[in-house]
Amino acid sequence: MSQVLEEAPEIDLSDSIREFSGSNSDYYIEKFAEIQGTSETVNPWNMAAAVLGPVWTAARGMWTMFWLFTIAEMVALVQIGKGIWGDLGAEKRAEAAGFLERADEIRRQAAIDAAAGDDIEPSLQIAHNLQEAAENSMIAAEALGSTWWIYLLVGLVLLGLLRYLLGRYANRLYELQYSAWRVNTNILSGFNWQRIGYSVFLLLLIVPVTLYRFTVSTPVAWTVDVPADPNVFTVTSLWLDGWFDSTANMGQHFFDAIVLATQSVLDGIELALVDAPWPVVALLLVLVAWRVASIRVAIFTAASLAYIGLMGLWEASMVSIVMVGTASAFCIAIGIPLGIWFSRSERAYTAARPILDLMQTIPPFVYLIPIIAFFGTGRVPGVIATIIFAMPPVIRLTALGMRQVSPMVKEAATAFGATPRQVLMGVELPLARPAIMTGVNQTILMSLSMVVIASLIGAKGLGQEVLIALQYVAKGQGILAGLAILFCAMMLDRIVQGRFQRQEDH
Amino acid sequence: MQDDVVIELKSAWKIFGSRDKEAMEAVKSEGLGKTEILERYGAVVGIADCSFNVRRGEIFCIMGLSGSGKSTLVRHVNRLIEPTSGEIWLMGEDVMKLSSTALREIRAKKIGMVFQHMALLPHRSVRDNVGYPLEIRGESKARRWNVSQHALGLVGLEGFEDRFPRELSGGMQQRVGLARALACDPDVLLMDEPFSALDPLIRRQLQDQFMALSEQLHKTTLFITHDLDEAIRLGTRIAIMKDGRIVQIGTPEDIVTNPADDYVRDFVQNISKLKLIFAHTIQVPVNDYVPAAGEDLGQSPRVSEDVDLDHLVDIAVTTTQPIVTTNEKGEDVGVVSKDRLLQGIKGGK
Repeated sequence: MSQVLEEAPEIDLSDSIREFSGSNSDYYIEKFAEIQGTSETVNPWNMAAAVLGPVWTAARGMWTMFWLFTIAEMVALVQIGKGIWGDLGAEKRAEAAGFLERADEIRRQAAIDAAAGDDIEPSLQIAHNLQEAAENSMIAAEALGSTWWIYLLVGLVLLGLLRYLLGRYANRLYELQYSAWRVNTNILSGFNWQRIGYSVFLLLLIVPVTLYRFTVSTPVAWTVDVPADPNVFTVTSLWLDGWFDSTANMGQHFFDAIVLATQSVLDGIELALVDAPWPVVALLLVLVAWRVASIRVAIFTAASLAYIGLMGLWEASMVSIVMVGTASAFCIAIGIPLGIWFSRSERAYTAARPILDLMQTIPPFVYLIPIIAFFGTGRVPGVIATIIFAMPPVIRLTALGMRQVSPMVKEAATAFGATPRQVLMGVELPLARPAIMTGVNQTILMSLSMVVIASLIGAKGLGQEVLIALQYVAKGQGILAGLAILFCAMMLDRIVQGRFQRQEDH
Repeated sequence: MQDDVVIELKSAWKIFGSRDKEAMEAVKSEGLGKTEILERYGAVVGIADCSFNVRRGEIFCIMGLSGSGKSTLVRHVNRLIEPTSGEIWLMGEDVMKLSSTALREIRAKKIGMVFQHMALLPHRSVRDNVGYPLEIRGESKARRWNVSQHALGLVGLEGFEDRFPRELSGGMQQRVGLARALACDPDVLLMDEPFSALDPLIRRQLQDQFMALSEQLHKTTLFITHDLDEAIRLGTRIAIMKDGRIVQIGTPEDIVTNPADDYVRDFVQNISKLKLIFAHTIQVPVNDYVPAAGEDLGQSPRVSEDVDLDHLVDIAVTTTQPIVTTNEKGEDVGVVSKDRLLQGIKGGK
């Protein structure tokens, strides 16, 4: 053993470092040797990097570093620019001018009113107050104007710190790049005037404009305003309005049918949960939790129900659970078959993926509007909005789980004469179950996160409580209702997951 | 077709790739090779022009290194992989002409398959794994349980019925795999490198167990392996594959004594010949034999000409005389001198 350790000859990296660095090679051979030669962490100083900053990183092909440092230095430069050229009190002065103008206006009006014989005392008082506010703003503007040196100092310190960091770590980073380059020669190497030119060009493009934008109090309009044509927006939105209206009219029967179907499911569950006597419902829920999941889940369910009951949120909670349960049931009933289909057909999945992304990323408010157009307001559109938002995870995770089923096991089932259906039911679905259950869990939780938004279009329940609290800034009420939503979510989730886990344990 | 041929492949080809049909045409009309097909059509030849037949009750081994196409080949028998061209016959039926229902029927009733990586269903108990083929056939639970109990008994796994596969060792899992293949009492066993993933000692045990079972149940078996020792140990006949082609088919003795080409010769070089070569192969006819000084055939030990080298060695160490071999009538037919014996052990003639 010690022979291998002690007698290992030194390898000479200088040729490859020379090839990698391109210029100034002897310097880097020495620095890399210094870094590689010790088990300590050493950071040999690199003057070129400290002086040139981002340009050095670009010259050495470290573009990520270039952008990081350029952005960081921009922050420093803007501070410096503000300190030197900035009109720091401008905003406050503009405010003061506004106040004065308003005061003048009120006084003029008062003069007219006085001529008419009205009581102008209150108006004069307001004008006086405005005058005072304007004076205060002027004082603040003065004070701000004298803080220029703070900006300058902060900017300079920040810039110095950044350059110090770069100088300190440049050689280490460059050595890491060298190590990576040895394995993957596609990684940029060498020293390149073209890259320097490119980086200087970029800096010249970005730095002056940004400095100008942030330091001058009234910049030229084109640096601030995005070129826009309000007509395009109006015309397009009007056209969309028309389209929605006509679609809603044409498909009225279709949409009514959906509403009716959803409504009857909702009514059915609601009859059980909301209209039944509360002790029966509570007992049933706890029993279900116990039988389906475990005694621990049952205790948790009982505690959650006690909280909901004591807080007087029983009915609201039941309404929300009905809504979430219905939405989740639809999501699962539609999502799992879709997921199965997408796991089979790459083409279908590729086509569906942007739609799934859309469903998850578009703010729900955006599709609330067309949903109202098609389905009106109330619980049903709330459920539909929830389905749109909460369905993607169960689809995605079903597809993922199905794809991860071992092809060997599927082949074995086929070899024993199983039909595709038997393979699906007997092999694929059971083996994909962990992933599918994760999807179901995500769907339930996302459904509950939608209750507040759904209440915007008239769905009652806990969401409405939160919404009311929001309107009146009733902090306590909001938090209590929010906690109730959390408990409902956890109850539903634990019961569903508990069933799954118990089967796994067997 | 012969009565006792159970599996027969006639000139089966498998070409993988989107332009497999075109490539197949080109192979037939122009006789393209593997590399040209890849270059011209971007298609990979899985198996090329494979023909063989397996007779009733025999263990037919297909031996080849990884990538030689042996696993692809065995999957043609039950059409887990569709051939690009060629015929497949199973017990007198043209497998290629079967409807998908009839094909499933055959898979469920006539073929049992064992896989290299066991491919057991992790969410089912051992008992339900073994009963799975019967469940597919729609048998009752009672019958499934009875049969799986019996099949597990055959492979020596009594008492593990209600465990999960993951609780069993690799060797035990593969015995579950074997029991599952036996459960539907198939005429044909397809074994795709069943023992390759096991360690040598367990592999040997399972080979012995499998041979004993095979004697007992007389299943026709197509056995895939990359291990020539295993092929020779188990096989009634062996086919050697290279690059998708069958290079040689023969009994273990044929393969060892008459390798068809350098490739096979390389393989058999380090195989012990003691149990594969028989006295009649190396003996010199008794009339041609010229006794050396001090030799007297009258005093020589006599053995049947059908004994193997191993046996001959045991006799040779007890005497200074050459060994005389006899036919079934007890007549002297040949002589095996020590020189001949040593050459025979080295594989020469």
